[in-house]
Amino acid sequence: MSKVEGVSKVESVSKVKGLQTFPGNRIIWHALIVGVVWLLLLLLNNNIDPLYSSYLALIAMYATAMFGMTILVGLSGQVSLGNGALMAVGGYVFALTSMNWETVPIFGWQWNAIWSMVFAGLGGVLVGGVVGGLAARLKGPYLAGLTLGLAVGVPAITNRFPELLGGENGLMLTVPYPDGGYAAAGAAASLDPGAEGELESTTDPGGDQNGELATDDQFAELDLSEFDQETDPDAGLATEDLLTEEDFGSGDQLADGDLLTEEDFGSGDQLGLDGTDIGTDIGTDAGTDIGADLNVDSDSLLDGFDSGFIIERWQASMAIAVACIVAFAALNLVRGRQGRVWKAVRDDPIAAAVVGISPSGSKVSAFVVSSLFAALAGAVFAQILSFIGPGAFGLGLSLSLLVGIVLGGRASLLGAILGAILLVWLPELVDGLAGERGWPEQITNNAPNLLYGLLVVAVVLAAPGGVTGTIRSWVDKARGKARSPLS
Amino acid sequence: MTNFIDYLLGGFSNGAVIALMALALVLVWRSTRMVNFAQVGQAMFTTYIALTVQQSTGNWVLALVVALLAGSILGVVVFFLVIRPVKNSDTTGAIIATFGVLIALQAGAGMIWGGDPEGFVPPVDNAGLEIGGRIWPVSLYDLLVLAVTAVLVIGLTLLFTKTSLGLSMRASAFNPEVARLSGVRVNRMLITGWAIAGATGAIGGVLIAPFSTISPNSFDILLVFAFTAAVIGGLDSLIGAVTFGIGTGLVISLVSGYSDSGNAPIVALVLLALNLLLKPDGVFGHHGSRSV
Amino acid sequence: MLETVDLCVSYGAVKALNGMNLVVPRGEVTAVIGANGAGKSTLMRTLAGLVSPQSGQVLFDGASIAGTKPEDIVRNGLALVPEGRSTIPELTVEENLRLGGLWRSKSDRGASRDIVFDLFPILNERSTMRADTLSGGERQQLAIGRALMSDPKCLLLDEPSLGLAPLIVTQILELVSRLARETNLAVLLVEQNAVTALRVATTGVVLNLGEVVKSGPAAEISSDEELRHAYLGY
Repeated sequence: MSKVEGVSKVESVSKVKGLQTFPGNRIIWHALIVGVVWLLLLLLNNNIDPLYSSYLALIAMYATAMFGMTILVGLSGQVSLGNGALMAVGGYVFALTSMNWETVPIFGWQWNAIWSMVFAGLGGVLVGGVVGGLAARLKGPYLAGLTLGLAVGVPAITNRFPELLGGENGLMLTVPYPDGGYAAAGAAASLDPGAEGELESTTDPGGDQNGELATDDQFAELDLSEFDQETDPDAGLATEDLLTEEDFGSGDQLADGDLLTEEDFGSGDQLGLDGTDIGTDIGTDAGTDIGADLNVDSDSLLDGFDSGFIIERWQASMAIAVACIVAFAALNLVRGRQGRVWKAVRDDPIAAAVVGISPSGSKVSAFVVSSLFAALAGAVFAQILSFIGPGAFGLGLSLSLLVGIVLGGRASLLGAILGAILLVWLPELVDGLAGERGWPEQITNNAPNLLYGLLVVAVVLAAPGGVTGTIRSWVDKARGKARSPLS
Repeated sequence: MTNFIDYLLGGFSNGAVIALMALALVLVWRSTRMVNFAQVGQAMFTTYIALTVQQSTGNWVLALVVALLAGSILGVVVFFLVIRPVKNSDTTGAIIATFGVLIALQAGAGMIWGGDPEGFVPPVDNAGLEIGGRIWPVSLYDLLVLAVTAVLVIGLTLLFTKTSLGLSMRASAFNPEVARLSGVRVNRMLITGWAIAGATGAIGGVLIAPFSTISPNSFDILLVFAFTAAVIGGLDSLIGAVTFGIGTGLVISLVSGYSDSGNAPIVALVLLALNLLLKPDGVFGHHGSRSV
Repeated sequence: MLETVDLCVSYGAVKALNGMNLVVPRGEVTAVIGANGAGKSTLMRTLAGLVSPQSGQVLFDGASIAGTKPEDIVRNGLALVPEGRSTIPELTVEENLRLGGLWRSKSDRGASRDIVFDLFPILNERSTMRADTLSGGERQQLAIGRALMSDPKCLLLDEPSLGLAPLIVTQILELVSRLARETNLAVLLVEQNAVTALRVATTGVVLNLGEVVKSGPAAEISSDEELRHAYLGY
């Protein structure tokens, strides 16, 4: 074949086999993969029940942190329990910076949030650099012990500066949601799509006190077509009725100050599922208030919120965005030269040094990268919780991260994702089973952890590569290759 | 000045318990060259067992003995769980395995006994003794703790230096191959080491329980303190573990007294970091802890 | 006393011993010599139970011991003094010696200790000192002494000359040879240093690439110039 043909054949073969000969190609390939996944996730996010969106958000958050663990523990071989503490660093930096800034919306996105994330990341890099510098000199158990001390000690620091860091009780965050400026945290969390037609009094995204709706409440575009489905236009209201103006008879008019009571509807009439009166105003235009006690189907109510803003979905899309960006970076590092350097130092530091790689330099870089990812994950976590406190970032979190990557596959980014899914899904599964079988809380609270602990031991003994490593070794065996499950 | 002395005195019994935990860590290190991070989890578990025994029989001594036995058995069980990766030279995996055991033990304890903090009644009075018209920060119970610790430490020292078993264990730790060629059943020695470590940790757990409440996670901080003490003393050195265990207890007592008790873990972390930075082999140790 | 029949030992794909036949009788020193990599250490480690053979037999006092654990082999009377300074430096001389016969009764140990001190008086002098204070030659004596504490019927010495001055090596080996004669001990000596080895041995076995090239009286081997040139390097 001609030279041109030969070259293009090599290129096409390389592309097919995933062997990227040019770094540029590889980066583009990775960008493509991440981009597609991002798109799919966003599509998924918009079409599932918001409850699942909140799971998605947590999974993405954990995955972000665990990509760092994959690099630190898997590729660089440093068993560290410090990433929980580093998540705390990121979370606190985010909280402190975002709490004190004014909202500056740009293109509908809160510009400050990005800056706060950047600062959170920087905080992670700084602390990670310091810890990594110390840790690079340490072997196995000494490193684990030091980072163990970090995991237990950093949360204690919050008590050292209670005014600044909120002490045991932590800090409440005001999360910069895209529409309508800052919103109080609690409001977002308690919009529960499963609730039966009741908007709880605290759920008032419009910022009112007492949870009552007032004319300036921001429910955009109520779909009032629902309200036309009355079953008894003349006789007043029955429990299934939804109100329209016709129901009120001629002469009756409702103005914004009116409160409907049972007298307005004639005796015997009842409103709402449990017969409670409508206690608030009903406006006649679309887009204005609804009574809190109206028996309305909550799903349809929420559908009417065409601001596009459902809190869980926003959280998920934010978390997914961060996760995908981090994944892209991680992918390039792991499957690029740096990844090979890390592995080389892990497997044979002397040989690596001989070839001109600095073992301590590589260890520190792994630490810094994983700290950056952890800090970003911590910032995301803070936004999901709308709160940051020492309790969530203790030893348990660091151990969870370790569990996640060990079970998923220590040196695999895909393993990190699997681990994240497991960490979020297993407790839910256990809760579900507990509900069915009536297990006491004591059991269900601890069952996931017991399982994690036993699985970790089992994996280390029998399948050190975790899920992904084991599958990879099966594939390799089928292909007739031999490879260590830990590589 | 009296404050200083008070804080110092108050720290001794705490230090004794930390010393026992550090001792357990060192025993395991000497026999198998690994750090058993699950050690405190084992101690927590056996302390719960002791609590159950004490609550049903009212007999503290019995509870202590049961904990001791349970600690040895648990130590052997954990040994078998985590020793295989070490044999295959997957030291990273061994460390991870000990954490897996720790997680499982904490969850298991939570399942069996619940997560609410439980109180442990000491066998003798835990109030400060009145001597010479003054209430000292040392109680009868503190003295009991110190006595038990002293007996244990002396016993272990005699075991290692004077007996054949002790010699076999030391040889197995220093050079397992030569030990085998000398007829020592090395595997049994390793198991014995873990059993003794488990028992030591169990005793430490029972001793410390009355000082506050126990819950599945209450021993976590103890792990940090014990590890710090063990490392500073040199993971090879029993003397180091005891000395710096007590020392750590004293330092914590001083820190808690003069500032906030919440600062204690931070101080421990700083001490640990300094030690690893300056003298990673510890004050009395001689084996390499630094990487290449 | 000690016999191998068609012994084959491999490390993975590498054949270290290829059908080796060897007889080690009592009361004399048998020397196995050959260049580096000839398989000498593998032989010793296999005999002592640290390595399992792929095939073939190891017969000790008529019984097969292939696959038996080292700690049991020692208790049956086959003691190895491994290559290098195989003493435990953190222990004292007395402890190192005691280690060699821990499973025996105190009086038995005492009797063996007397033999050892008789053979190597310096060990008696330094008995309470840590082993890492001894010189190289002293440590080699201690290593042999420890093996003798097990009251062996057969003693395996793996390259005792390593790192020692020739005079000291000769002294030690001559003592061992005398011991063999006087106590009817079977001694298998493995050495790179063929000259010294053949001087004290009764029988010489030349090993090359895992196979026996020649075996016979020591004097014969040492005077065979062609053999020496080809396999022993002198």
